[in-house]
Amino acid sequence: MADIVTITIDGQDFQVPAGTNLVDAAKMLGTDIPVFCYHPKMEPVGMCRMCLVELGSISVNRETGEPDLDENGEPVVRWFPKLQTACTQKTYEGMVIRTTTEKVVAGRDDILEFILTSHPLDCPVCDKGGECPLQNLTMAYGPGQSRFVFTDKLNLDKHVPLGELIYLDRERCIQCARCVRFCDELVGDDVLAFHERGRRLQIVTISDPPFDTKFSGNTTDICPVGALTTTDFRFGARPWELDEVPTICPYCPVGCNLSASTRLDRDTGGKKIIKRIMPRQNEEVNEIWICDKGRFGHHHSRSTERILHPMIRKGDELVTVDWATAYAEVAARLKKYGDRTGFVAGPALSNEDLWELRKLTRLVGEQRQRGLWPATMSGIEAIAQAGAGVGTRVQDMGPGGAILVIASDFEEEAPIWWLQVKQAADRGVKVVVANARGTKLDKYAAATMPYAYGDAVAVMNGLAARARSRKKIARSLVESRVDGMDALIDSLKGVKVPHPEAADLLLDADDLLIFAGGEGLTLAQHGELMQAAANLLILTAHVGRPNNGLVAVWPGANVQGAMDMGFSAETTAALLDDPPPMWFIAEADPAGEDVRAAEVIANAECVVVTSLFMTETAQQADIILPGQSFAERDGTFTNGMRRVQRFYTAQGPIGDSLPDWKIFAHIGRQMGGDQPRISTGLVMREITEKVFRYADMGYPNLARVEKQFPDVGGDDLYYGGTAYTNTGGLGVQWKTNAEHEQHRLTVRPVNVDSFAADGLQLIPVRVLYDRGMWFRVSDVMDQRVPAPYVELNEADAAGLGIADGEQIAVVLGERTVEVRARVNGKTPAGYALLPMRLSDAPTLTVPAAGVVQKIEE
Amino acid sequence: MTHILLRDLDIPDIWQFDTYVANGGYEGLKKAVQEHSPQEVIQIVLESNLRGRGGAGFPAGRKWSFIPQDAPIKYVTVNADESEPGTFKDRQLLEKNPHQVIEGAMIAAYAIQAAGVYIYCRGEFWDLAHALEERIEEARQANLVGENVLGSGWTCDVYVHLGAGAYICGEESALLNSLQGLLGQPRVRPPFPAQIGGGLYYQPTVVNNVETLANVPWILVNGADEYKKIGTPQSPGPKIFCMSGHVAKPGNYELPLGITFRELIFEHAGGIRDGKELKAILPSGASGPVLVATDEVLDTPLTYEDVAALGSTLGSASIILMDEDTDMVWAAAKMTHFFKHESCGKCTPCREGTYWLDRIYERLLRGEGTQHDLDMLHVVPKQMAPVTLCALGEFAANPVLSTVTQFPEEYERYIQRSDAPHPEMADAMSTVTRGTTGEVPEAVAEGGA
Ligand SMILES: Cc1cc2nc3c(=O)[nH]c(=O)nc-3n(C[C@H](O)[C@H](O)[C@H](O)COP(=O)(O)O)c2cc1C
Ligand code: SF4
Ligand code: SF4
Ligand code: SF4
Ligand code: FES
Repeated sequence: MADIVTITIDGQDFQVPAGTNLVDAAKMLGTDIPVFCYHPKMEPVGMCRMCLVELGSISVNRETGEPDLDENGEPVVRWFPKLQTACTQKTYEGMVIRTTTEKVVAGRDDILEFILTSHPLDCPVCDKGGECPLQNLTMAYGPGQSRFVFTDKLNLDKHVPLGELIYLDRERCIQCARCVRFCDELVGDDVLAFHERGRRLQIVTISDPPFDTKFSGNTTDICPVGALTTTDFRFGARPWELDEVPTICPYCPVGCNLSASTRLDRDTGGKKIIKRIMPRQNEEVNEIWICDKGRFGHHHSRSTERILHPMIRKGDELVTVDWATAYAEVAARLKKYGDRTGFVAGPALSNEDLWELRKLTRLVGEQRQRGLWPATMSGIEAIAQAGAGVGTRVQDMGPGGAILVIASDFEEEAPIWWLQVKQAADRGVKVVVANARGTKLDKYAAATMPYAYGDAVAVMNGLAARARSRKKIARSLVESRVDGMDALIDSLKGVKVPHPEAADLLLDADDLLIFAGGEGLTLAQHGELMQAAANLLILTAHVGRPNNGLVAVWPGANVQGAMDMGFSAETTAALLDDPPPMWFIAEADPAGEDVRAAEVIANAECVVVTSLFMTETAQQADIILPGQSFAERDGTFTNGMRRVQRFYTAQGPIGDSLPDWKIFAHIGRQMGGDQPRISTGLVMREITEKVFRYADMGYPNLARVEKQFPDVGGDDLYYGGTAYTNTGGLGVQWKTNAEHEQHRLTVRPVNVDSFAADGLQLIPVRVLYDRGMWFRVSDVMDQRVPAPYVELNEADAAGLGIADGEQIAVVLGERTVEVRARVNGKTPAGYALLPMRLSDAPTLTVPAAGVVQKIEE
Repeated sequence: MTHILLRDLDIPDIWQFDTYVANGGYEGLKKAVQEHSPQEVIQIVLESNLRGRGGAGFPAGRKWSFIPQDAPIKYVTVNADESEPGTFKDRQLLEKNPHQVIEGAMIAAYAIQAAGVYIYCRGEFWDLAHALEERIEEARQANLVGENVLGSGWTCDVYVHLGAGAYICGEESALLNSLQGLLGQPRVRPPFPAQIGGGLYYQPTVVNNVETLANVPWILVNGADEYKKIGTPQSPGPKIFCMSGHVAKPGNYELPLGITFRELIFEHAGGIRDGKELKAILPSGASGPVLVATDEVLDTPLTYEDVAALGSTLGSASIILMDEDTDMVWAAAKMTHFFKHESCGKCTPCREGTYWLDRIYERLLRGEGTQHDLDMLHVVPKQMAPVTLCALGEFAANPVLSTVTQFPEEYERYIQRSDAPHPEMADAMSTVTRGTTGEVPEAVAEGGA
């Protein structure tokens, strides 16, 4: 811990840690120092000169070490003759500042006058107007009258596309470099830069494609003026017309907190719609950042392709019916097939949906075949035992910590976690990346642990073996609470440790956090990987405390919740192996994503779906029930760190659509179940009573907020950016067994078998910008979604006579999909990487042997 | 008089390695490496009170002593960006007496046990930089540079780097950024270049001017006491004075610090051109306040302390003379335009302040100035100078403030006239001031660089 020092702000003494940035320190103590260029998440640069203060030090007698006193007995302060920028100062003992004197006010006034000499009078038409730091500070300090008496100001380009998502207005830019520094320093993507110098200094994009980063939208939030605007929102509405609704991103396991800016809109005949998505501050989750998928991927919610009414297949035709008919029909089918129904829950159903679906499965029969889609990852037991400790915040980790990311293309699968881990690496956290191919995180890693696809479990098991041989086993934990030790220790004898040096970086750290993805693993292997990770973490006591433990990079926003509610990928796999005649598929598109699932569903006797769109699966359905997007309803998601978070209704329903939980409850009622609850809050109350890990998840708890640092939003717009103050709740994490003292922990030997590599293995990989059932309709991001492709090793491509860029065929059993070959030197020999959800036809979700070939002429 | 720095004036071939060595060259380096510990070298330079010739006059030995000895990697950077209007001394040193600069830099490098020396040349020094590389190679061949220097076990190479033509890259922290391949903008200090985190590649670094280092070999050979016999106690040593403007014999003059303006101008530099009267002096190029050529000024010794007492600065001693016919408003406009053009744009007051001033001068030159413009010429520089990130902002204020206060009647005349006194210059100013997309390359206008 840093030493505590005494500083004086405007005559009042405060205790703060030494070396705190002065602007931050003042803010924490309730004094606003205005800033433009300084941002609490970035290093100071001292550019805008807005943060001027009078700075002095208490004069100390060199001999006695006591402060010198004046005739009144007050300490003598030695003042700097000139005003100083607060953002470039760190707190030290005896620091004295004045922030309200005439000199300070005049200094700030002067800086604003300078800025305004070049700034256009755009406020009435500027997107930032109403939430603009420059506007606000001009009101607070600015000169009443301009002394820059010229008929014209600087004229520069006002509509400069920095790529297709962000526009730059060069006149409005005040050269604070926040956007450049965000990209360079925080993200590490060299995509923006200054061109020229002096008054001609201007922002340009230096990447091809332009502004090529997954985090570009954040620059518009931290831009202190209206210089950067998004294609999505610019000129779309005025900030004061907008009603902010707290919501949660439905795309990935990070669970970024969002704010949906809504208004009653002409485009929808006066109905409330989302005009834009903004980050909402949650320092426990996404801080103030979101990725571009979360920001721009909301358009599906009001797409014209949405299914508007329940439909029942009559022969070749789908006939629109009312809900009562639909409920009765579904209930009749469920009664008919009973236990022989496979239920499959999608990756972003809310916990309330899942609970009602679970109740429905109980009404149908004893088997309760509750599957989860996609069926690629498992290991809920490992999470339950050794999941990341409550209060884990990657941004708190320092040089004593280590992070292992295994089997994941992390930036593609969990962008904001990637961003946090990348920054952790910058701070000296030992980041180790284990994967069968290179990923973007490697560049920042302290070490990598390359392995061949199929060997991930062996790598993880090797770490445990290393812990054993280096005597890193935490005796006290193991002896008091762990079962299965002997068998595990026996199994680790003689196990090869693939990368001992990298392993030691992890084993020697005080804190160890593991992010485990599912790339290149079969479902069974994934379960073993998770157990192997839990073994390691339990053996070394990296469980049950913040910044330690296991995080699964689940393939969806609420896969964690689905598992918590009793759905599993193993069940789906079993259902696919032994298909039941009836399928009930909720907000998932197995037939559109996986050839095997497509086959099975095509052959089913009866298929019922809830869906927003006519997906491949919906097209096979006998009964189609229109569900609702995250925007039209409320509920909770549980993120990959087991944090249950509320989202709220942002816009009105489309057509007759209903939230899934209501649909399931109504069907259940037809089957003799309870009267449907009238709100999600009541559904959650039932969950809190029945699911012990969710006992604390009542809505009032989840909605709790507290003051967060840095302080953004509200009246301090100039301080942290336009991320919104969190009014929707910070959410609550459920405790792992390790955190319940009375629980015992279990370890067991794992099966490290690789898969038989006969011929070319096709490895499905996740890409952020895909054609998943919702994101494919998010129009503004179209250009970022690549055409379907497969990545091949040069030698394999040469052997098949395939050239880079060539359109080729991937044969998947009976079906063939055409994709473009990418031969780029990154793919290991013997494997072809096939992105999931990029093609319009189903491909693979789990690794399989396959054939890649030239297309016959 | 024999020269210590501009030795080419005594020995024209001294740029050649053999000639340099035959005339005592590299003896200072040999002495340093073979007879002294690094600490002793720093001590000698400290005792000599050699002050930095790049402008600020900071004692070189003090600067070297700030380098943390235990830092594993340290650098010396030679500031050869020489961009101050009226400064052309470093160029002569590097062109005509290059080995002495290399030797001085190597002594500094030895003193701080640097891993490398980088000579940062202004972009226009293209030929010079290439010739310099050949000189360095000669020294390398003689084991005076490079691996295991003079068998001492210490290895240090010398590299030459060309800038891209920006005045601001003479400012030491902008120079370091530029050298690192970053945008040439000053850094926030602390950390200072000598500190960990502040120097080249964030390692402790000494940045010295070319002329500063050219003094060092002589000090090593002759000792600090001999050196202090030249000049004044507070400003010891020889100094190159760059004489330009309305002077009869422009050029570089190496003379001891402490001679007066009068001696320099009238005894050495031949007085004022065409027998005119001297009106004003810019003692340090465009960046220091203008001095009115009074007897008091002319009799002031040229030392850091005495010129400062006059309210100006000796700077790099680039002395620009202005005769009785000089239009001070025009001159101030020229200098303002220079600073506006050279402002890096990093900080608000300088970026906007120099732009504002430039526009006021443009209006004055068009004969359209108003009383409000004159008032603003008093206000804007004072509002800008104290709060800028680097000293360029202060420099830019000096020509404006020192002329509006000392030559008010000339300014008054400008706002009273009905014709445009300098329309062509006003036009030239406005093209870079207000050109819209014209000044932005097409690709940039599209958003790309
Ligand atoms: C705007 C600006 C331009 C400068 N240009 C130069 C220059 O061209 N050459 C130089 O030696 N010092 C220049 N300096 C001074 C350097 O920052 C630095 O003080 C000097 O290189 C230190 O060397 P010295 O101690 O040997 O004088 C400049 C300073 C500023 C603020
Ligand atoms: S575009 Fe915005 S964030 Fe970027 S430098 Fe300009 S004002 Fe700052
Ligand atoms: S990182 Fe994940 S949760 Fe966050 S905005 Fe992006 S897709 Fe959504
Ligand atoms: S004072 Fe001028 S040159 Fe120096 S940092 Fe500021 S803008 Fe750049
Ligand atoms: S200089 Fe401190 S906030 Fe910009």
